[in-house]
Amino acid sequence: MRHFELACLEGVPTKEIHGELHTAIGQEAISAAMVGTLRKEDAMCSTHRNHMHAIAKGVDMRAMLAEIFERKTGICGGFGGHMHIFDSNVKFSATGIVGAGVPVALGHAYAARLKNNGAVAFAVVGDGAVNTGAFHEAMNMAGAMSLPLVVLVENNEWAISVPFSASSATETIAERASSWGASGVRVNGLDVEAVAEAFANATERARAGEGPSIVEAMCYRFRGHFEGDADMYRSKEEKEARRSQDPLEITKTALVSRNLATEEELIGMADSVQTSMAQMLASVRLDPQPDPADAMKYVFAESR
Amino acid sequence: MPRNLNLSQCISESLHLEMERDHSVVVVGEDVGMQGGVFGATRGLQKKFGSARVIDTPISESAITGMGVGLAIEGFRPVLEIMFVDFIGVCLDQVYNAIAKNHYMSGGQVRMPIVIKTAGGCIGSGAQHSQCLWGLFAHLPGLKVVAPSNPYDAKGLMAAAVESDDPVVYIEHKGLLLKRAEDFTFGSDVPESRYTIPLGKGNIVHSGTDLTIATISGTVSLAVTVAETLAAKGISIEVIDLRSVVPLDIDLVCESVAKTSRLLVVDEDYLSFGLSAEVITRVIERGVRPRVTRRHAVPDVPIPGALSLEREILPSEASITKVVLEMMEAR
Repeated sequence: MRHFELACLEGVPTKEIHGELHTAIGQEAISAAMVGTLRKEDAMCSTHRNHMHAIAKGVDMRAMLAEIFERKTGICGGFGGHMHIFDSNVKFSATGIVGAGVPVALGHAYAARLKNNGAVAFAVVGDGAVNTGAFHEAMNMAGAMSLPLVVLVENNEWAISVPFSASSATETIAERASSWGASGVRVNGLDVEAVAEAFANATERARAGEGPSIVEAMCYRFRGHFEGDADMYRSKEEKEARRSQDPLEITKTALVSRNLATEEELIGMADSVQTSMAQMLASVRLDPQPDPADAMKYVFAESR
Repeated sequence: MPRNLNLSQCISESLHLEMERDHSVVVVGEDVGMQGGVFGATRGLQKKFGSARVIDTPISESAITGMGVGLAIEGFRPVLEIMFVDFIGVCLDQVYNAIAKNHYMSGGQVRMPIVIKTAGGCIGSGAQHSQCLWGLFAHLPGLKVVAPSNPYDAKGLMAAAVESDDPVVYIEHKGLLLKRAEDFTFGSDVPESRYTIPLGKGNIVHSGTDLTIATISGTVSLAVTVAETLAAKGISIEVIDLRSVVPLDIDLVCESVAKTSRLLVVDEDYLSFGLSAEVITRVIERGVRPRVTRRHAVPDVPIPGALSLEREILPSEASITKVVLEMMEAR
């Protein structure tokens, strides 16, 4: 996930990505924690900062990278762009509108009930989204109907320049859950095992028909809101201190100290991931851009 | 002989038939279940198809419309009711950022076969409950926009909207919903069986040779009455019911204008940047040059509360007649 985001960063100075780019570097442990719990039939609705969620859900990484690099081979043929990744094979969608994914996930949760297929709907949002009306409406309906919805909130403490502490009436987001008849828990989002456990518990509760949950994972985005963000709202001291708490390093240390892996093995793994990402990026860069003649395609499914 | 039903019953009959033939159709909205809709357009659906497929929701339009998106991705055909079109403001995000765009943004992967069924038109309820707003939806790429003027069309257009793989905003006219079929001078005979009216095909509801009135929804019957009255004075008016704003049947308007050379667009929606300018511009862009063109729409003002004020700004038989006579006198 880290190397995927680093590959994306390469497209900014070259203008291969000509619009915004939002990376989630520093928030990897949260997406990694979802992997073991997600099933293919579960739907996931993500955000503008969606790459890691998509990887966790099993979205084709090369096709996603090609979409981000504005290629015809992109997962949406270049019609979406990096904020609007769709992969119907694994029921993944994203929206660039903060908070708007939660009502969509509510629809997936209701579909799971109609189909009676045991699926769970996941919405992944940031801390900014929890203050939108759509978030409240969807949570309330999910609670009222006891639907299988799990909302994972990545609380990176900053909604662009406005700190969570200044925008929330409650100390935590997790404690709001009871207003909607949901369960709520706050976990350390740098601790992959803690997030995995909370996420699995919430999912199990949803699959058992016990209703919605909120998992609030505390984290920190290492980079600005978008590439090019001057990021003056966070002090240098804060950024340095928080970036020193790198979830990758924390996880590595834990694995080594518990003799689950050696440092050499982990370095080897990182090197091999870096190499394969470099190869993927090089290959994507050979792909053509979308045909301008196709710009009007797909406005409607049926011809006008 | 028209059957004894009103326009809202024609819509509910259509939805019954759609839900019967296609189990992926679900109805979601406020008061659509137990109550059968505030105008009765979903009456009997919950009783027949159950509360799982006909869902009474809280007053949460963002959740309703967002739910429609998720359901559509899952292969359902949601009919979402936004009680009054004026309420779209609280959930326009899902409508124009997701419902209208997901097919495009996903490169054709995801279809949005969603009907947004809503009531528009003026019934004396003031600025926040009397708008039409089809021009607003039509401005946003990716939405088809339908507004029936009579019982026959209401039933057939709803069937076509539900069947469509594209999102369709279906705008009922509140002034017509409770009107009995027998009180319509056109489209009053409604077959019991299922039929569809293709989206984007207008209808000549009154033939004429001197002047074309293109209009939609509630003002169609006003235009027809004007045409009938002025026929006695030797003015032959062709009235075209556009039926949908998107797609817009500009071929039909062009054919008529080629014959009449006078084009009046009557619109109960707001004047500027709307249906009236669009119709006239497209006709001219096609190379058809009417000698006289006029727009007659709500003159960029909110709908007032008091009747005397409301009458001043809404198209009426009298106001349409006045514009027609001015156009006939113009050189």
